[in-house]
Amino acid sequence: MVTLQPAAAELLGITKRFGAVVACSNVDLKLRKGEIHGILGENGAGKSTLMKVLIGLALPDAGSILIHGKPSRIKDPAEAASLGIGMVHQHFSLVEPLTVWENVILGEQARLSASSARRRVKEISERYGLEIDPNDRVFNLSAGLRQRVEIIKCLRRDPGIVVLDEPTAVLTPQESEQLFRVLRRVVERDNKAVALVSHKLDEVLSATDRITIMRAGEVVERLNTSEADAPSLARAMLGRPVSLRSKGIALGHIEIDEGLAEEGGGSESEEPGILPVLRISGASAKGRDGRVLLDSLSLEVRPGEIVGVAGVEGNGQAALGDVMSSLLRLQSGTVTVGGKQIPTGKPGAMARAGVAVIPSDRHESGCVLNMSVAENLTLVSPPRSSLGLGILDRKARRSQAEILMAQFAVQASGPEAPMWSLSGGNQQRVLLARELSGNPKVLVASQPTRGLDVGGIEYVSNRIRQAAEEGVGVLLISTELEEVLDIAERIVILFRGGIVGEMPRSGVDIERLGLLMSGAAAATAAGAAAC
Amino acid sequence: MLNRLLRRSAAEEASDGSSGLASQQRLQSASGVLFIYLVCIVAALVISALVVWGTGGSWSSVLSSLLDGSIRRPGRWGKTIGEAIPLLLVALGMIINLKAGLVNIGQEGQLYVGAAFATYVGTFMSGPGVLVLIVILLAGILGGAIWAGIASVLRYWRNIPEVFSTLLLVFVANQAVGYGLKNTRLLLDPTPDTGNRNLISDQLAEGTRLPRLELFGNEFPVSVFVALLLAVSVSLVMRRTIVGFRLQMLGSGPRAAHRAGVSDRLYGGLSLAVSGAFCGLAGAFMLTGGDFGNYRLTPGFPVNIGWEGLLVALMARSQPILSVIAAFVFAALRTGAGFLAATGVDSEITKVVQALLVLALLIPPAILYVRDRRRTLAAAKERT
Repeated sequence: MVTLQPAAAELLGITKRFGAVVACSNVDLKLRKGEIHGILGENGAGKSTLMKVLIGLALPDAGSILIHGKPSRIKDPAEAASLGIGMVHQHFSLVEPLTVWENVILGEQARLSASSARRRVKEISERYGLEIDPNDRVFNLSAGLRQRVEIIKCLRRDPGIVVLDEPTAVLTPQESEQLFRVLRRVVERDNKAVALVSHKLDEVLSATDRITIMRAGEVVERLNTSEADAPSLARAMLGRPVSLRSKGIALGHIEIDEGLAEEGGGSESEEPGILPVLRISGASAKGRDGRVLLDSLSLEVRPGEIVGVAGVEGNGQAALGDVMSSLLRLQSGTVTVGGKQIPTGKPGAMARAGVAVIPSDRHESGCVLNMSVAENLTLVSPPRSSLGLGILDRKARRSQAEILMAQFAVQASGPEAPMWSLSGGNQQRVLLARELSGNPKVLVASQPTRGLDVGGIEYVSNRIRQAAEEGVGVLLISTELEEVLDIAERIVILFRGGIVGEMPRSGVDIERLGLLMSGAAAATAAGAAAC
Repeated sequence: MLNRLLRRSAAEEASDGSSGLASQQRLQSASGVLFIYLVCIVAALVISALVVWGTGGSWSSVLSSLLDGSIRRPGRWGKTIGEAIPLLLVALGMIINLKAGLVNIGQEGQLYVGAAFATYVGTFMSGPGVLVLIVILLAGILGGAIWAGIASVLRYWRNIPEVFSTLLLVFVANQAVGYGLKNTRLLLDPTPDTGNRNLISDQLAEGTRLPRLELFGNEFPVSVFVALLLAVSVSLVMRRTIVGFRLQMLGSGPRAAHRAGVSDRLYGGLSLAVSGAFCGLAGAFMLTGGDFGNYRLTPGFPVNIGWEGLLVALMARSQPILSVIAAFVFAALRTGAGFLAATGVDSEITKVVQALLVLALLIPPAILYVRDRRRTLAAAKERT
């Protein structure tokens, strides 16, 4: 890249506050035509806010925006669209029962013509290598294909500037690579400007031309990707030198340690004497709408073992977590904890059997936001007063809460602080404190580090490891492959509600893992079996 | 309310981290609440005055007759207490199911069925008066509980939202009790003259009525003490017991509650039935207390107590102790309205005045609710 391309968008001195929190402070950003610009930063660094300002979802408190050199005030997404700015959001906004082409033209005001809409979708998909059938219904599509629909939706208006917010969160490694090839085509053929917002070092390193690193609302470094390497990016992103191994999850960095693989190989073998503390066999469940949630899923966790459930989001992670929280009743199959079969779907049954859960929907099944920290710490077994009659011992609750808050370093104004007033990291600590203090046999952690900052991620993963060391069988359900690889000792792969493969962490084959996650390996295996 | 205020300021303290500031804010918050009420009531009074004045009436006489009818004239505040008792009971029941996250709006029907059960027992059972009275009250409780229990069963067996089922059951209750009032074997007064003409029940025997107290020339039934005791009990159960804790858990986080072992069928179903039981008791108290229907069940016996009790709970922002005040205020509006006819102002206009005053009492809780939600959302947003 010798010649400097003209800027498609320039953000100058953008400052945005939310209440007392400064999300962006005097941020400059220049997106050039024909370049993929990586915006790197950990959760809460202000990168999403900056993009919201560009797309018209947030009005800046100070600063100005130049689009193709012209000062612009972008007050809503419609205006952004008319200026040629398109965004692919992290969370999809697709209407599942509709077809691909119907979703693409959704919101169109002019007269609709089905055939021309289909043609347009075909054109775009061929031009950029986004293979998709316009007539497929969205609910049949995998997460990767759904993202293609979103990208086509975005490209249909032929925007000059394309913003992607954490696009690989729902993709398998192979799908991510495909996505980056598409992005490369978008910048090279059409000379568009692409902004890739991410907290993953590896993808920013491999997919971008230029990198802006944000930390705590400010730009801390700008550099060309060719001059960057992982350790220096990590240092800039976190503000201190770090070991990439222990921060792998936060940085989206996978390190395959050969030495560890060999060393682990010996101890990994199954010890026949130890009985699994958790055994799920043949678990099948359907949703209210008849959709298959779990399809004869079987897995085992031994005491002290960390089993990671890898897989693309939407393949049964939520259902598996719900079963372990007694929130979903199985149509068939059994769950055995410590040798005893536990009825599924019965209120409190799993909790009483010693299953601790860090749920992925922590605001719904993990805690009660309206209640105090002390109340949340004692949801399952509130301390009873010696007076009897089911009277609460509020003093004991308070002192219990104080002890747990100290033990788990929960930062709050006190045990009576409402749960909603706590930050995400502290809420997660409250959950950990409650679940781990009950001497559980099994710990089920679903997406335990989602949305946390680096400190929070480190704390939570250490606590999970510590629990396993103390003999708790841990089931880690995560769509972040880095997280599974970082914490788990054994990895099982979840696809369409069933386990399609298994491999030890040591000697992990990322290629095969990715194929299993996308169901490709299962299909070929099934084909082979049929022959 | 104090408790709520304290909680909110605890949250503010959490975000500011300075206790001096928090106590100052607590004060601001309390005066803020008063200010909202003041503005709404003054606005209602001004609009009412304009309406009355515009239609040629005398505003001052409307206001003074409202006061005369509710508290000023001799014997009137006793009457107001008499009306406040069932209002309070209905509101307490409403609070119990609101805490559990359910919305029962069929109080009018539950109350009517409770009163009908009570009447049936009262007119057919013989025995010592006190015993009969107790059985009458129990029958009322049972009737209300059964009527709300139907909605419970529908909710947890067939997923029918209780909002609809409780409401529709009001109309079923009206027809069912109406049928009973046509049939001497059920509720209709067997005395040839009164019954056939009026479709009313036999009068309760003297000994089976609630004793009435007299205080400074004001008379009211002793059920007031039961109602007050229940208000305190509901408040204590909600704040101090495991059952109350679990009910509120179910209401504010059903998934977390289910996971923690709170069965929604058990707790939700029972809370709905208990809420109906409170209405049934209200109906039985109305029957035996003497302020309604002269110890007889009549068509239209509930006289909107069920609907207005629901408003009492809303005005009190689901707080049992505050409901005592709210119930008295609503009762005062009812008894005061009785004197409005004498002012010569059209009854349509006086109804507008009443409605405006009710609105003035209900808007502040709505504003406070929205404000609290906004704060919660803002706090939640700041963290993502």
